[in-house]
Amino acid sequence: MIIALELGFLFAIMALGVYLTYRVLDFPDLTVDGSFTTGASVAAVMMVNGVDPVLASVCAVVAGMLAGTVTGLLHTAGRINPLLAGILTQIALYSVNLRIMGRANVPLLRETTVFTPLREAGLIGTWVSVGVMVLLALAVMGLLDWFLGTDMGVAMRATGDNEEMARSQGIATDRVKIFGLAISNGLVAGCGALVAQFTGFADISMGIGLIVAGLASVIVGQAIFGSRTVAISTFAVVLGSVIYRGVIQVALNVGLNPNDMKLISAGLVVVALVLPRWEPVRKWRTARSNRRISDEADLVDSVAGSVN
Amino acid sequence: MLQITEVGKTFHPLTVNERVALRGVNLHLDEGDFVTIIGSNGAGKSTLLNVVAGRHMIDQGSVVIDGEDVSKQPEYKRARNVSRVFQDPMAGTAPHLTIEENLAIAVARGRGGGLRRAVTHARREIFRTELKTLELGLEHRLTTLVGMLSGGQRQALSLLMATFVEPRILLLDEHTAALDPSRAELISRLTTEAVARHRLTALMVTHNMNQALSMGNRLIMMHDGEIVLEAVGEHKKSLTAQHLLDEFSKIKGAQLTDRTLLQG
Ligand SMILES: Nc1ncnc2c1ncn2[C@@H]1O[C@H](COP(=O)(O)OP(=O)(O)OP(=O)(O)O)[C@@H](O)[C@H]1O
Ligand SMILES: [Mg+2]
Repeated sequence: MIIALELGFLFAIMALGVYLTYRVLDFPDLTVDGSFTTGASVAAVMMVNGVDPVLASVCAVVAGMLAGTVTGLLHTAGRINPLLAGILTQIALYSVNLRIMGRANVPLLRETTVFTPLREAGLIGTWVSVGVMVLLALAVMGLLDWFLGTDMGVAMRATGDNEEMARSQGIATDRVKIFGLAISNGLVAGCGALVAQFTGFADISMGIGLIVAGLASVIVGQAIFGSRTVAISTFAVVLGSVIYRGVIQVALNVGLNPNDMKLISAGLVVVALVLPRWEPVRKWRTARSNRRISDEADLVDSVAGSVN
Repeated sequence: MLQITEVGKTFHPLTVNERVALRGVNLHLDEGDFVTIIGSNGAGKSTLLNVVAGRHMIDQGSVVIDGEDVSKQPEYKRARNVSRVFQDPMAGTAPHLTIEENLAIAVARGRGGGLRRAVTHARREIFRTELKTLELGLEHRLTTLVGMLSGGQRQALSLLMATFVEPRILLLDEHTAALDPSRAELISRLTTEAVARHRLTALMVTHNMNQALSMGNRLIMMHDGEIVLEAVGEHKKSLTAQHLLDEFSKIKGAQLTDRTLLQG
């Protein structure tokens, strides 16, 4: 189960990127499948050529941001529908990624990576490496929380929530969307670079279907832990990612074929999307949130009362 | 202050769906002018406001604000000078953001989003003071999601957000139409107060004759993309709802059947 925790927190960085587009910008961005591999390829090729692993990872982030910018431009300047814009970039990136790597797979087993110190100390697969992953995920989560609380971050949330209103309040919504897609894919590519270093290789197919893992983390996490505030939402996404990896690990442990994992991922997302709308579950949730609303109304009344 | 000169706008030109919405409209407003706009459905009232706001680009003519030709400026840039309240109470606010976050957007308007905290202690104090003027108790609910508010409360908030950073021009498109009479009354009062307090130049579309007559210092009637009647100052004060209805029938060359005009 340690492996599920390591991977869960590591992939949480990608899931936070998906949260930014899917939830904050209301833009289901399929670039992710391509930009994850782009991050992995850029970092891998650079490290094979002797570049410092940290610098290589930073370059991977920049490459991902470029990919996000392309999708953003296709959507805003090119007026292409969000899903299609993402698919187009994703498909194009397949070729780009092959160009970057020069072949379908780049092994990193003998290279120095950011995880080499942990590996040499024999700490991979222990609670220490889990702790490192937790810190990484929480650092990214904290940065995202901070950003979404700034003027620019609130403008981004408003753009996703009510674009018409955002524009009438002087927000350059096109620019905001491009920027959001760039940050999101920067996170995804950074995650790709780290995953390549953790698993010891970059592979052309490593990003296929990854958007589903990202969506599963966001949707499952928020279905369980809620989304009342930004801080709750991002925390829910991180935990959602861990839960998702846990489910996958359990499925593998009970002897399911790794090739079945995509089917299970998709099934998990469907369940998470449909279950909250299922009558008994809905009743239970409304009862819970009604209680919260009436609590709040009481609070307002008592505050108003004490003022009057 | 605002010069709308020979402005024309046609939707879907050269197709079967072609619709001429504005035919060479001229309207010049001085600072502090408050114009009420009436006219039947499809007369071009909303289009006129959208053309000033930059939501629709014009085909001909020019829109000049404060001496600057803004005809080609995108909507978000004009928002520095022009603000709006929509008919739909859901349209002017972001439902999944809190009251204070919505207000933070209004405060930052026209200054671009920086990396400073959106909701600070100092800003909260300003929000509370301003929200108090609405007399809806919203100053105690800064962290409530706006989606939880009623239509009237959201509309009051929209109005506050539109006037927070003093705009040069305020556009109101049937902004009380979706509200119950008492709420509509409240929003009308708040509008008059805000316009007077900030000395705003304002354009207000309404189907309510009494509102059109009692508010503002100028009145225009639109029909089929044109301004067909203008009344200023004393002339406007002397008008009655019956005058306006007669005027309508004359223009239409038929008995007035437009029921929306008879409301209120
Ligand atoms: N976005 C649009 N696309 C196509 N046609 C439009 C659009 N907006 C307005 N029109 C057309 O332009 C004309 C004027 O419409 P407008 O919305 O300005 O009328 P209005 O005076 O505001 O009417 P109402 O009282 O019903 O709100 C109408 O014929 C309408 O069909
Ligand atoms: Mg209209």
